[in-house]
Formats: sequence, C-alpha cells, structure tokens
Amino acid sequence: MDILQLLTYLSGVVFVVAFAAKLLKYFTMPMHVRWELYPIPHEGKPYGGSFFEEVDHWKKTRHKDHMAQYAFMVPEILFIRALYEDNRPLWYVTFPFHMGLYLSIGGLVFLVIGAILQIIGLMPGTSALAQLVHSITIILAVIGFVLGAIGAVGLIIRRLSDPLLRDTSVPIDYFNLVWLGAIFVTSFLVWLTDPGFVVSRNYLASLLTFKPRPELSALQIINLLLFIGFWAYFPFTHMTHMVSKYFMWDKVKWDDSPNVGDAGVDAKIKTYLGYPVTWAAPHIGAEGGKKTWADVATTNPWTEQAK
Amino acid sequence: MRAEEIASKSGQPLVDPKPQDYAPLPPPYDKYEDEPIAELTADQKAKWEHSLDGVSALNLPRPESKEEEERLVRAFLSGLEKLLQKENNWTFLQPLTLSMEYCARCQTCADACPVYEMSGRKDIYRPTFRSDVVRKIAKKYLSPGGKILAGFRGHDIDLNWEVVARLAELAYRCTLCRRCAQVCPIGVDNGLITHELRKLFSQELGIAAAEIHSKGSVKHLQFGSSTGMVKAAVVDIIEYLEDDIEEKTGKRIKIPVNKKGAEILLVHNAGEFMSWPENPMAFAILFDAAGIDYTLSTETIGYDAVNYGVWYDDVQFARVALTHLNIARDLGVKKIVIGECGHAHKALSVIADRLLPGQQMIPRESSYTLLWDIVKSGKIKFDPTKNDFPVTLHDPCNIVRLMGVVKPQREILKAITPPGRFREMTPHGVENYCCGGGSGFAIMGSGNFPDWKLRLSCRKKVQQILGAFQGEMDPSVKKMVCSPCSNCKGMIRDAFEHYEVYPKTGIWYTGLVEMMVNAMVDQEQPFLEWPDEDEDE
Ligand code: SF4
Ligand code: SF4
Ligand code: SF4
Repeated sequence: MDILQLLTYLSGVVFVVAFAAKLLKYFTMPMHVRWELYPIPHEGKPYGGSFFEEVDHWKKTRHKDHMAQYAFMVPEILFIRALYEDNRPLWYVTFPFHMGLYLSIGGLVFLVIGAILQIIGLMPGTSALAQLVHSITIILAVIGFVLGAIGAVGLIIRRLSDPLLRDTSVPIDYFNLVWLGAIFVTSFLVWLTDPGFVVSRNYLASLLTFKPRPELSALQIINLLLFIGFWAYFPFTHMTHMVSKYFMWDKVKWDDSPNVGDAGVDAKIKTYLGYPVTWAAPHIGAEGGKKTWADVATTNPWTEQAK
Repeated sequence: MRAEEIASKSGQPLVDPKPQDYAPLPPPYDKYEDEPIAELTADQKAKWEHSLDGVSALNLPRPESKEEEERLVRAFLSGLEKLLQKENNWTFLQPLTLSMEYCARCQTCADACPVYEMSGRKDIYRPTFRSDVVRKIAKKYLSPGGKILAGFRGHDIDLNWEVVARLAELAYRCTLCRRCAQVCPIGVDNGLITHELRKLFSQELGIAAAEIHSKGSVKHLQFGSSTGMVKAAVVDIIEYLEDDIEEKTGKRIKIPVNKKGAEILLVHNAGEFMSWPENPMAFAILFDAAGIDYTLSTETIGYDAVNYGVWYDDVQFARVALTHLNIARDLGVKKIVIGECGHAHKALSVIADRLLPGQQMIPRESSYTLLWDIVKSGKIKFDPTKNDFPVTLHDPCNIVRLMGVVKPQREILKAITPPGRFREMTPHGVENYCCGGGSGFAIMGSGNFPDWKLRLSCRKKVQQILGAFQGEMDPSVKKMVCSPCSNCKGMIRDAFEHYEVYPKTGIWYTGLVEMMVNAMVDQEQPFLEWPDEDEDE
C-alpha cells in the first residue's frame, strides 16, 4: 500500500480512537453534585426562572421545553452568539473562522458522498444526483476555505494586536492557527488547480475501495499531509470544544434534574459514598483512605469537644 | 501580566490596586476619592504572606524553613492531584475537568467579572488568571509528558512556595458569583476553579479563611451556629422576638419551636437573630397571618441555615447539610423552607441534592416562592401606599443565577409598592452582579482584607445601586434597596457605612419580609425603620 494512503488511514484511526477515548472519559465520570447556571432554556422561562419558583415543585410534573433548548443551541453553535453578544471584536474574526470550518467539513462530507456515488458508477456528468452532490461540494468547500483563511489570519492579527489577548496567548495558539490557515489556503489552491475536485474524489474513492491512488501534485500532497496531520492531532487539543460543549451545557450548566428517588441515581450515590477519602487535612479525619465519604460526612469531630 | 509571573521570587506584591485606577462611581460619587488600602504593619508583613497584592485575607504564616516550604509545595501538588481523582472529588470532577481542559483563551469572561472591572482591570483579578495558573501547574506537573515542550505549549510555569502562597490569597479574591461562567462561549467556569482551589487548600493543607473555617463551619458544628450562638441562647432570643413583635404590632404571637409533624421547617441564617431580628420577626408575623403550619428548630445546627462549607470544603459542607436534613426528618416536616439567605438556598436546595439517595431527601423550597404564594392567596391584605418610596431589588446570585428563583421576589415587590416605585438595577435577574460579599467575603475581616473588599468587590454593587436612583439623589428623599439575603445585607451595610451612602443619598436597605409586613393593612405602626428616625422624632 502507498505510504500516503497508509498515513491517511492511520490519521483516521488515531482520530477515532482518541476521540472515543475522550468521550468515554467524560461519559464514565461520576455524576457530580448539581452546579447548574441559569438561564436554562429547557425550563421554558426566558428570563432565567426555574422550577424552584413553583410552590411544592417536587409534586409537579416537569416539562422540559426542548424547542427552547434548540432555539438556544443552534444560534450558539452556528453563529457563536455568546461572542456576538459579549465579545464582538473577536466575533468578527472567529465567526468566519468557525463558519469556514463547518462549511469545509460539509464540503468534505459531500466529497465523500461523491466518491461513493462514483464507486457505484454515478458520475457528475451523467447522474443528476452526482451532479447535485458535486455542486454542493464545491460551493461549501470554496466558501469554507475562503472564510476559514480570512478567519485564521484575522484571529492571528487579533491575538497579536489586542494587549490582553497578546498577554494570554501562548505559542501553540499561533501554531494551531497557522496550521489551520495553511490547510484552508492550500485547499483553495488545490481547487484552483483542480476546480472539479476530480483528483481529490478519486483519492477518496481509492481509500474507500483499497485500490491504488491517483497521481497527486506536490501541492495536493502538501495539502493532504497538512490535513491528515491535523486530523490526528485535533482530538488531543482544546479545539474539541465543539464536542465538550455538549457536556458543559447538558451535563453541567443545564443539569438541573432533581434527585427524587431514581433507582439508578440512588445506586450511584451509594457507590460514591463508599469511595475512600485521602484528603490529608486533620479536620477531614480521612485516616489516609481508611474512611469513606459516608464516614467523614457523618462524623462531627467537634461534638465531643462541645459537650 | 502573564500567569507565569506569579512565580516571581521578588517577595513584592504583583500589583498595587490604587484608588486612581478604580472604575468610577456615578454622582454624587463622581468626584469621590477613596483612601488607599491600608498597608499591613511591618510586624504583620514579617509574619504573613502578602505578596499577591499587599493584602492578607488569610494571615497565612510564612514557612519557617526551606524544608517547610518544600513540604507545603508538595502538599499543594498532591492536593491538586486529588482534585482530579474520582474517589476524592466525585462531587465536582466532571465540571472541573471540563473547565480545566477547554479554555480557548478568548478572554470574553474578563469584562463580566466585577472585581476585575472595578479594580481598573488588574490582571491578577481576571477570571482566567487564577485558572490559568492552576491549569498550567496541572499540565506541567501532573499530566504525562507535561514537561515536554512546556514553553511552546504554554504551561512552563515554576511551582514554588511563592506560587502557592499567592494562589492561596488569590482563591479569596473571587466571590464565586459565576458571572464569568455565564458569558464563556465554551462553558468554562472560572468560579468553579476558584471553588476547587479553595477546597484543595482546605482539604489538603488545612488552609482557609479563619472566618469561614475555624470561626465559621467549625463553630457551627461545635456549638450549633457559626455565630457561636448556643441552643439555650436561641430559646431566649425567640422569646425576645415574641416580645418585640408584641411591642411593634400589639399582638402576641407564639413562634412555634420544634413542633413535630409541622408542615414546614423554616430555617434562618442565625446572623439575622443578632443583626436584623426584624427579619425573623417579619417571617413570624406573615406566617401567623397566613395560617402557615411551620416550626423553627432549636436543635444544635438546626437553627442556623448557613453552610459555609459550600465556599471552600466539601466535607464541612456535607456535615452541615446532612445534619439539616436529619433534623427535618426527625421533626417529620414535609419540607424545609429557607429564609432570606442566599448561600443557604444554594447549599441546601441545589448542591446538597445529590448527597443522599432520593427517598432520604426532604424537599426544600425558597421562602420567596412560598411568600409569593401567600401574596397570591390573598390571605393577607397589603396596602402598597405604605411603601411609598423608590425601591430597587438586589438579586442574590445564589438564589437567582445559581437557582433560577427570579420572578417571585419581583412579583411580591410589585404587589406591595405603589405603581412606578419599583425599578430594576442594570443588569438584573440572572445577569445581576454580586453584592461583593459572596463566598464568605461579607464576614471576612482579617488583616487589611476589609479595605480590599470595600473598595473592590462591592464597588460594582454600589455603582449599580446609585445607578438605579439617579435623578433622585436628594438625601431627603428616602430610598430603599430590598436585599433578601442575610449575607448580602451584611455586605451592603458595610459598604453603605464605608461610602456614607445614607447621609449622602438617602438610600437604605432592608429585606423582603420587612417590606411585606410594612405594607400589611393590619399593621398599624410602620414596621420599617430608617437610620435617622430617632433624630427626626
Ligand atoms: S474561560 Fe471561557 S471566556 Fe474565559 S478565556 Fe476561557 S474560553 Fe474564553
Ligand atoms: S466567579 Fe465572579 S468574582 Fe469570580 S472570577 Fe468569575 S466573575 Fe469574577
Ligand atoms: S452574598 Fe448575596 S449577592 Fe453576594 S454571592 Fe452571596 S448571595 Fe450572591
């Protein structure tokens, strides 16, 4: 097998495994105590109210307003509303950057679909479906590359010119932006040299069918290496925040489920109360892990003294 | 200033928060110049760590030897490791790890922080400064390969005693109001990182502000109340309250105590009994008039709803919360209603919610909610014209942003004040600003910390309160801040004294129930008292 193809597979495997490990790590963490932050859209009270506003709230059926949740989430993810509202100067550059990313990824997904259609014999020139997919691919990708490149350069300039951002940015922030910017720019150049993404689609088809790859230009090879390198590196960075947002919102800020006697929750709490404690301060009385959470929480070291 | 500079061995404060840098206040304080924060005496400087900003809230002693320093640094690192373990920190592991791993360094949170803004944007008070130091240490010293390319990856920070000492103080320059977390586009919670940092210091090194630990939660567990009030004293105080109620209303009311099988256990912040007895009195008058079946408890710990552990120590927190729940269970009440105390609300209603299996929990409810229900029921007749003065409302962060109780208190105020008298602060509700006394600051008074909090942490609230009454600043026009939280009232009281707010502007403060009783048709005498009333008479 060709070294480029091998590296591409490898980057895919690293991406999937590392990402899965990350998700698993968060999914398997203990249920934490409640630490919600209002407003919580599914409460259905735009001013930020909660079920605590109702007398005897535990006796009432709770309705989660899922529409309100989506109405919050969609503009948040697509348009980065938080920054639009609270940090407009940064939004001007980070919005094109993120939109560029979304569109480019969309373009890639459509390119993969195009490659699959090609494998089953549907080509843009002959099949209306393939033609549609092809057109969408180009529109998404090209707009994505341009926006992404503008955003990446804009972010670098913003980080360098704003005194607070300059003070708090670290070398790797610039490195990541330059890397992503290079991917957008080289992708755009690849499109200029191959406006139908024919070679790229053929390359994807070769990966899907485990067949020899088409000939790639130097530019295409550079672009490919930049891309697969980043693909493998990405799950190890804080840039996976698009995914962590799910946990941040759904599992922390919006986790307001009251503990009203659910067998699963009860079992978890019992397990956690049995965990050993090794906190060393004397008032904890953990005895280096001999005591559990249940022990230390039900001991009042000062009752004796009070008597 | 870069986070790495916290390791500076100069022994000098990293910043000097000078009055000329503070954010301005509105009229009549537009020309007001504060005195600088008092310097520690030479003796205090020799004894206490103060190299963060020249302020000592903890009176942290300097280590006596190099070995002692090294031991403390090692203990700090081991505490940090424990924060990231599920056994030792199941309570907050997931939110903490998320906040540690995902900051995008966009600094959107900076301007949401009242302390940072009011200090004149001093870097060390920026929400991310503290968090970044903690993140960088964890990455460099606790993550596999952390020292590889540490500079390039942005966490080449030295961990020395100076860092630990400064971080200990820095953990007490944030009110845990979590306003910064609300604006973060990623969902990172810098307030939580402060909370966890305080836990590390307390649970591993036994370092905490004396007012919240040795003179706070320890006293609570030892004597029954963080005020030091013992059971016998509470019984006496309740009798005094009954006498005072008779004096003020002409009616003898029996305050129910330890009544088995009552519907409700009402818990107050015990500070109210001492500093603002009108507050528990007003509750008694209202509950009596509305025919509420309730009781107070005089069981040790049961008469003080506070739970300082919520600010710095999970174990102290759990000890108090479990005792509160046990007392309610022994009384056989159907629910616990929490009086006007913000952190007691959050502690018992929200955070304690997953401490016990569901069946063993007792439902908890905000007094605001129940009071609104009383107003809606029409059982008590109110005459809003009795509260005929401009009023604004302070939102205790613990009850509003952190619990979502926003509307009841507003509806009550609208029902008990004449139209047009109630005005909101900007911003308000879930976007409110902390009073500046959050996370224990209201009761912390060691070293020169009071100077710091009066100038920096409560300044935003003072700015907001003045803002709400612009155009009516004539001191002869009496104006009221309704502040339904004992802690917030404490902070506002101290801030008003420091800035001489009442004599200069005629703005005073009270709780919610006091204003309700003041408006009761049955109440012949005014219930509210203004500071200069005695002189007027
Ligand atoms: S905490 Fe959030 S808002 Fe603050 S710098 Fe990090 S990502 Fe930005
Ligand atoms: S929690 Fe509040 S005081 Fe603390 S850093 Fe955030 S905004 Fe500032
Ligand atoms: S003292 Fe009051 S305003 Fe301040 S944090 Fe507590 S509840 Fe919030």
